[in-house]
Amino acid sequence: MDTSSMSFKCRQFFMFAGITTVTFVAVVILPFVYGLYLTFTSWDGVSKQKPFVGLTNYASTFADAAYWQALGRTFIYSIIAVVLVNVVAFILAFLVTSGVKGQNFFRAGFFIPNLIGGIVLGYIWKFVFNRAFVALGESLSIGALSTSWLATTSGAMLCLIIVSVWQYAGYMMLIYVAGFMSVSADVLEAARIDGCTNMQSIIHISVPLMVSSFVQCLFLTITRCFMVYDVNLSLTNGEPFNSSVMAAMHVYNQAFTYKNYGTGQAEALILFIVCAVVGVLQVYIGKKAEVSA
Amino acid sequence: MDDLNEKAARNRKIRHAVSIVILIVLFVCFIFPFILVVINVFKTKADITSDPLALVGSHGFTLQNFPEAMKKMDFWRSFGNSAFITIISTILTILLASMAAYVIVRNKWKACGALFGMMIASMVIPFQVLMIPLVSLYGGVFGILNHRATLIFMHVGFSVSMATFMFHGAIHTNVPIALEEAGTIDGCSRWQIYWKIVFPLLKPTIATVAIIDAMAFWNDYLLPSLVLARKELYTIPIATQVFYGTYSTDIGLVMAALLLAMLPILILYMFLQRYIVEGVTSGAVK
Amino acid sequence: MKKKLLAMALVTAMSLSLVACGGGSDSGSGSDSEGGSASGEAAASTGVSITVFNTKSEIQDQFVEMAEEYSAATGVDVEVYYSSDTVAAHLATRYSANDPYTISMVDAKDVYSLGEEHAIDLSDQEWVANTDYAISVGGKVLGFPVCIEARGLMYNATAIEAITGEEFNPDDYKTLDAFLGLLDQLVAGGMETPTGIMKEDWSMGAHYLAEVYEEQPDVEAFITSLHEGSADLANNEKWNSLMDTFDVLMKYNYAAGSPVAAEREVSEQKLAEGEIAFMFGGNWDWAMINAYDYSEKMGMMPVPQNTSDGSNEKLVGGGSKYFMIDSSDNTSAEQQQAAKDFLNWLVFDEAGNKFLTEDCALVPAYSNINADALDPLSISVKAFADGGNLIENYNYLPDDHYSINGASFQKYLAGQVDRAGLAAEIESYWSSTTPVEH
Repeated sequence: MDTSSMSFKCRQFFMFAGITTVTFVAVVILPFVYGLYLTFTSWDGVSKQKPFVGLTNYASTFADAAYWQALGRTFIYSIIAVVLVNVVAFILAFLVTSGVKGQNFFRAGFFIPNLIGGIVLGYIWKFVFNRAFVALGESLSIGALSTSWLATTSGAMLCLIIVSVWQYAGYMMLIYVAGFMSVSADVLEAARIDGCTNMQSIIHISVPLMVSSFVQCLFLTITRCFMVYDVNLSLTNGEPFNSSVMAAMHVYNQAFTYKNYGTGQAEALILFIVCAVVGVLQVYIGKKAEVSA
Repeated sequence: MDDLNEKAARNRKIRHAVSIVILIVLFVCFIFPFILVVINVFKTKADITSDPLALVGSHGFTLQNFPEAMKKMDFWRSFGNSAFITIISTILTILLASMAAYVIVRNKWKACGALFGMMIASMVIPFQVLMIPLVSLYGGVFGILNHRATLIFMHVGFSVSMATFMFHGAIHTNVPIALEEAGTIDGCSRWQIYWKIVFPLLKPTIATVAIIDAMAFWNDYLLPSLVLARKELYTIPIATQVFYGTYSTDIGLVMAALLLAMLPILILYMFLQRYIVEGVTSGAVK
Repeated sequence: MKKKLLAMALVTAMSLSLVACGGGSDSGSGSDSEGGSASGEAAASTGVSITVFNTKSEIQDQFVEMAEEYSAATGVDVEVYYSSDTVAAHLATRYSANDPYTISMVDAKDVYSLGEEHAIDLSDQEWVANTDYAISVGGKVLGFPVCIEARGLMYNATAIEAITGEEFNPDDYKTLDAFLGLLDQLVAGGMETPTGIMKEDWSMGAHYLAEVYEEQPDVEAFITSLHEGSADLANNEKWNSLMDTFDVLMKYNYAAGSPVAAEREVSEQKLAEGEIAFMFGGNWDWAMINAYDYSEKMGMMPVPQNTSDGSNEKLVGGGSKYFMIDSSDNTSAEQQQAAKDFLNWLVFDEAGNKFLTEDCALVPAYSNINADALDPLSISVKAFADGGNLIENYNYLPDDHYSINGASFQKYLAGQVDRAGLAAEIESYWSSTTPVEH
């Protein structure tokens, strides 16, 4: 059998990846290309006419101060949330692999937030912040709790971050758990005999060996945070005073609520490019770190 | 020497105790919203609003939220739709993605590189970008919306990149090429090698992809709401949305629906949990 | 080879089962219905099915129930849908998919923006003569008014009377001075914070702020002057008079400590149960008040103002929520006829009337419909409407008006900007916005 002939390659590729390729292209790539075309029209989303307007939408994107503010806000939110999610997840992973009793129970418990959908989750947390915490604050007279955190600009941001940490830490914990378990016990034992403290062996042995876990977790958290929408909608809905509108939400409002579909689509595309650049950069740096470790 | 050992043992005990305490505190934080849900789901709306922390409201204990939520969301029909779509989509995603990942890992062809590159890039496309083009194409041009099969097709299309990505990592690290070469010598075709040797080795990743995708399909709202615009096709998340309006939220019903929708996926998770921990490692970026 | 065949068979079987299942679920998706008489005199199925998109979540249950009864009685299958998404976004997806609803319930501004392209002309319908609230675009009647809704100050008379000891007559509190006197009396009597404020952007931006425009002597001229930047909002009489009242509502607000955190559910419960006595809102708020142990005597009154222009004797409102019938090829002539029949049934059939006024407690927009069984807020609204005491809604505000100015108003509520600053923000919004064509 000639395994280097073109026909063999084609047959192999289509046998294994044919359906996948067709499905993927039909569902993701085609609409994406069509969406790209729509950014050059001044369509309002509901009319039958889609007048071609060239680069006008990109011009209005650059002139849309609210969009850039939202994007900047998304950056701040993402940076804080990504760091906290990963720190919490790492600590959780360390604790549930340290051999405590019932660690499987804890692993399951921390993962539970992942089992429910984003929109419902936001409504539940809104209830927690607005009602439960306030009721708690009043009955125990804790000043910091007696008014809702969602009412202030920085408070709303804090709430979004808390919910993100709560939502993703369990998932990322699992990846770190796997990372911890892939560090062989022999190496750690050797380090212990050499007189390393626990802390030292984590920093000098486990962490360098877990670079790929970090890269994966960071990629997942960064992209999810940049594209946050569901929780933004149901938890804060942009309030107070539109100060918690993240990029994806602004895009959605621009396209549908304000009926500038083309501009919304163009803004979404820029969000996509930002996500892609940040994601690729991070994986690239991670890979370098992996090699040097 | 004895003294030293004793000291080390005591230290370890203390550390252990501290770990447990921290874990319990964190655990309570993580579970807190669910505790609130369980407390409030047995109260009337008026009681939930007036005192969210009370164990029993002034109107007394009530189960009313459950039957009401079930009736309004036509629970069993939505449940059937959700289950059917989730199961089929998950199986198809696993089969298709693992096969594609296999051919991508083992061959340095241009087509493989292009496909994989596009898949990775597609993971950061915000869904809002695709929403309208998707319905314009599949509704406006092809006219095939309002079928469960269409939704399954799209679920597979959207999730196959992430799944391929995870299988890619797993095959790369966990499937020794020597085993496959042995298979070739025994006269197996590539297809046979894949099903006999490679696929069985992927079990942990299969479990991981299964839980992650099943969860995503089960909870997905936006895509199904675009594709399934007929009541008899509604999935649980679409059926639940009637509880939250633009102007008000019936929190009691939302909570009841949340618990009802969560149970099946929780059971699936418990069942697959032991495979998962192994699985996520192999999906690591390589 | 056996394994390969097996796997292939498995995949094929699965795809086949998918197709089969997909096919089976097709029953309801027929956008082209198979003919049949649409006159609907017999209960036997006519084979015509129509879909109705409802955007009032509070009447969804009643609507679904009514649809079943209507289908049984007329043989026309009616399916009622609801979406929590933005109305425009949801309709956009349905139009893009060539799968529109036969009848869509939309807001007035949507009739203007969507009607010409997506709605059929209803000018020849009998009900047109019975209402003052239908929407016409370009000489064609496109919007069927579902109900009348109006904005004003909601009050809890039971709670007020318990403190003052005398009957509460809203007519005595038309001016801000009189209203202030009452508030102080309530405070002295033990109700420390007699008012509530809904902080939602739609309440403050689309409802309260809009009254500043709607109460101008010449609304169109005023909006034009805002666009041109020549309207001096800070020195405008209506602006200052309404803001004076807003300041009073803010001062006595139960949530004054953290006004932007006030949850609508909580505020409505306090009003319903008499913990507070006044809140700005509309008769749609009854759907929420209804869920609590509400007081016996409640109602709506005009926003008190120190003014002599008569606006403190009227509520602001009119027709609210409109039905449009889809005009595209995706809706057959039979379906359009069935949809028209349905609208006629609402107006002229006793069962239709009962559905609107009793089941949904809506204030009817049609002169032939009697309504005695309304809720307290709607009774007030109906009294003002019947007496000709409604100031008209202004339906041509830009789509982003409520969100952006609502946010500015929230800042004012939170004390982050003063009245002059708020006026400046609103003026700058208008000067940078393109006028809505109409």
